[in-house]
Amino acid sequence: MKIKMKIRMNAMHRFQAVRFHFPLSLTTLILLSACATQAPAPTEDRTVAEQVRAPAAEQSRGLQVYPLRNPAVTELSDAALAAEQQGDLDQAALLLERALRIQPRDPELLQHMAEIRLERGEWEQAESFASRSFDVGPRLGELCQRNWRTIALSRERLARFDEAANARERLQACQIEPPTRL
Amino acid sequence: MHYTYDQFGRLRVKLASVLRNVLTRLLIFLFGLTIGLALPWAWWLDREAERQFAERQWTQDSRIYGRPLELYAGKGLSRSDLIIELERIGLRPGNPARVGRFRDSGSSIELHAPAFQFPDQNQAAQRLRVRFSADTVSRIEQSSAQALTLVRLPPAELGNLLPSGSDDRTLTRLADFPPLLVTGIQAVEDRQFRHHHGIDPRGLIRAAWTNLRRGGLVQGGSTITQQLVKNLFLSPDRSLIRKLNEAVMAISLERHFSKAEILEAYLNEVYLGQDGAQAVHGFGRASEFYFGLPVQALDVDQIALLIGMVRGASWYNPARNPKRAQTRRDFVLGQFLATGLIDQAQHAQFSARALDVSTHRQRRQRPNAAFLELVARQLRRDYPDDELRGTGLKVFTTLSPSAQLAAERGLADGLSRNEREPNELQGAAILVEPSSGEIRALVGDRQPARRGFNRALDAKRFVGSVIKPFVYLLALAQPSRYTLVTPLDDAPIQVDLPSGEPWLPRNYDDISHGRVALMDALANSYNQATVALGLDVGVSALFRLLAQLGVEPGNEQHPSALLGAVALTPLQVAQLYQPLAAEGYSTPLRAITQVVDADNQEIGRYPMRLRPIREENALALLDFALRHTVTDGTARGLAAHLSDDPGIRGKTGTTNDRRDAWFVGYTRQWLGVVWAGRDDNAPAGVTGAATALPIWADIFERLPSLKQAAQWPESLEWFWVDWPTPLLASEECENARAIPFISNSNPTALSDCFEPVSTSRRSRGRRR
Repeated sequence: MKIKMKIRMNAMHRFQAVRFHFPLSLTTLILLSACATQAPAPTEDRTVAEQVRAPAAEQSRGLQVYPLRNPAVTELSDAALAAEQQGDLDQAALLLERALRIQPRDPELLQHMAEIRLERGEWEQAESFASRSFDVGPRLGELCQRNWRTIALSRERLARFDEAANARERLQACQIEPPTRL
Repeated sequence: MHYTYDQFGRLRVKLASVLRNVLTRLLIFLFGLTIGLALPWAWWLDREAERQFAERQWTQDSRIYGRPLELYAGKGLSRSDLIIELERIGLRPGNPARVGRFRDSGSSIELHAPAFQFPDQNQAAQRLRVRFSADTVSRIEQSSAQALTLVRLPPAELGNLLPSGSDDRTLTRLADFPPLLVTGIQAVEDRQFRHHHGIDPRGLIRAAWTNLRRGGLVQGGSTITQQLVKNLFLSPDRSLIRKLNEAVMAISLERHFSKAEILEAYLNEVYLGQDGAQAVHGFGRASEFYFGLPVQALDVDQIALLIGMVRGASWYNPARNPKRAQTRRDFVLGQFLATGLIDQAQHAQFSARALDVSTHRQRRQRPNAAFLELVARQLRRDYPDDELRGTGLKVFTTLSPSAQLAAERGLADGLSRNEREPNELQGAAILVEPSSGEIRALVGDRQPARRGFNRALDAKRFVGSVIKPFVYLLALAQPSRYTLVTPLDDAPIQVDLPSGEPWLPRNYDDISHGRVALMDALANSYNQATVALGLDVGVSALFRLLAQLGVEPGNEQHPSALLGAVALTPLQVAQLYQPLAAEGYSTPLRAITQVVDADNQEIGRYPMRLRPIREENALALLDFALRHTVTDGTARGLAAHLSDDPGIRGKTGTTNDRRDAWFVGYTRQWLGVVWAGRDDNAPAGVTGAATALPIWADIFERLPSLKQAAQWPESLEWFWVDWPTPLLASEECENARAIPFISNSNPTALSDCFEPVSTSRRSRGRRR
């Protein structure tokens, strides 16, 4: 007889909002494709960051879990995205740090910071911020995929190939089936 | 030579003639000499004046700023804290129609923040209304009642870097001075400035006449150019030679440079008082020094006061000689009226105003001394001295003025409450934002403005039980051997020291407690159980862990280190606990975020850096145990000192003979370290729980805090565990507690109280 006595406390209830997020991802996709033509890539690593984000954006029909955003944080992270698209990674990082002072555990901000660090070629920092984002994030869906893609890429660049392979494996577990709509 | 002989006056005539002859020749010679010397002299002065003026370099002291306060709806901030922040920026109560004023109207604060040049943005002055509900910002509006999402206030100026007794100025371009200041200074000091060529003969004659009439030197009669020459190139003595030099050089400057260049230099150079050992030069700095405002924000009466001070900055010092200063200011306002710079109505309005000088800077000669010391050390580590001195750097730091004040007051009050005789105890307090590692407050002396021994950075003291969590962390990192409920033996133990002497650690209460759960041994700070555990995980492992967390405890690896016979500074203790408070992400504690030069170009950046601690799960278990310490262990007194406990974790520490008292406590928002003891390291009658903990609580009560739910790593598994022997239980068991375990490390044997489902239903019914 198997008795249920495990209590998992790290359940989903900590996220205030669960919603489908197709339109936003579409916008992101458009923005990203726009920046690919407009802003010249400062380094080859720019494409690395896009690699992390874009595939996840394409597969964004899965269930998305987002915590409620402080509008001030949204303002700063939008500005950071704009700075990034103009190639001003320093300014983008500064703006994200300001946003993180307001919401230090915002998984989107942490992942964005990870991607900025990736673009700057700061592999260790990229990995750290992405894994922190995963720890405090939804641990599934698009963000989860971006987390592990960043971690995998960073580890590859640091020539830690076994760990990178682990990260690629972990990436697969991010995807869960969306609930069937009635 | 012509001789005339006369019977009586022969000799006299001859002498007179000779004398006249000699005198004439002498005069011609002297005239030639004068021409021959004066012309080269004048030529040399001219050249020197031109060269020196062209090559002059202003020294500007490097400024250190606190973190800019970001306002947004939902920010935890009390009204009183906002007022503290505003006052530190330099705002004062008053009508917010004027820049630099704020008005507190109960449920909201109206303020008019001055302009500030952020490195990434030139921010204009802005008038705002900040609404509150309880201790939270609920809405921010512009004067038009339009809501704003985010407002970054200008940062508070904390002080100068390495004040060297030199000059201090805030360089300002001519176009950036208020027009009234530019015209007003001419109206008062030199009305002919626009027309003369460096000297103003009419002014000189007028001054000479006045001086003659009144006796002595009353009026200077120097033009602005002459005053500038005097300030820049000449000694302050009042000799005729100097006066001549001054005139020659003034004419020279006018020949080589434009009126605008001369006036700009003058406005930045003129001496306007003394800030401690530093001379205040120029209207830009004077405006900040006396009014806490950028010069652009000055009002008519403030401009008049500063212009009046040109004549004698200490004689007309508004702080020391307010009456004299007011008379002088009103005289200047009269001159403004006479020259048509202001009208009758303005004159009446501004002469009626009282002097309002911000005395804040004068009152506290060197606030934030301990924090500035830390900033200076970090900068000196990263930059050569000549790059830091006099180059006008702006250093942006992490200090929160309101948190700093909370820490200063909490420490000072707490020490005076707890000491046996006045001023016996000293202390230190540090507040850190855990996830970014930013230092929000640092106090190194119970008198925070005192410079000197900085205990937060330099007092190396034994840490006592504050070290224990790291011993337990090492154990918990071996889940196959240790869990939170593993029984430890708290029994008399003998350790043979390398010196051959036996060491017999005793418990604080001199009782051995027998078999205790690991988390209880930590929560109750049992020494014997900890030594047994520590000897098992290894003293050297402890030292390696401390080094990994960024603290070098020295090389002497003795077993007594397990009980905290390790001398660390409060800052090092904060660094050790940072990853615990930041959910396993270690980051070096930072005081500086950015350094820019005088032109706002970034020369240094201290970005946020994270490093995951590998023992993420073990850290989470330790976090659980440190919460247990606050709810059921040595820190359980904390609740009585707090109005609300948002899930504080903490650890007390007391050293032998009650020499040192420590408390380290943290939430997700704040990590705080408090140390108290005597400077001479004598027994001080202090303990962690009775001395340091109440101080910590007092500080924490003054800080804004938000409740945040704990989030545990996904790989932890939770079980009901029965006591005292760790056995799996169910919720229904009387002593059962939910305990987290790293996968597969949980106990497997079932408790006696555990009953099959049907029975347990019955027991639930019984309880009801």
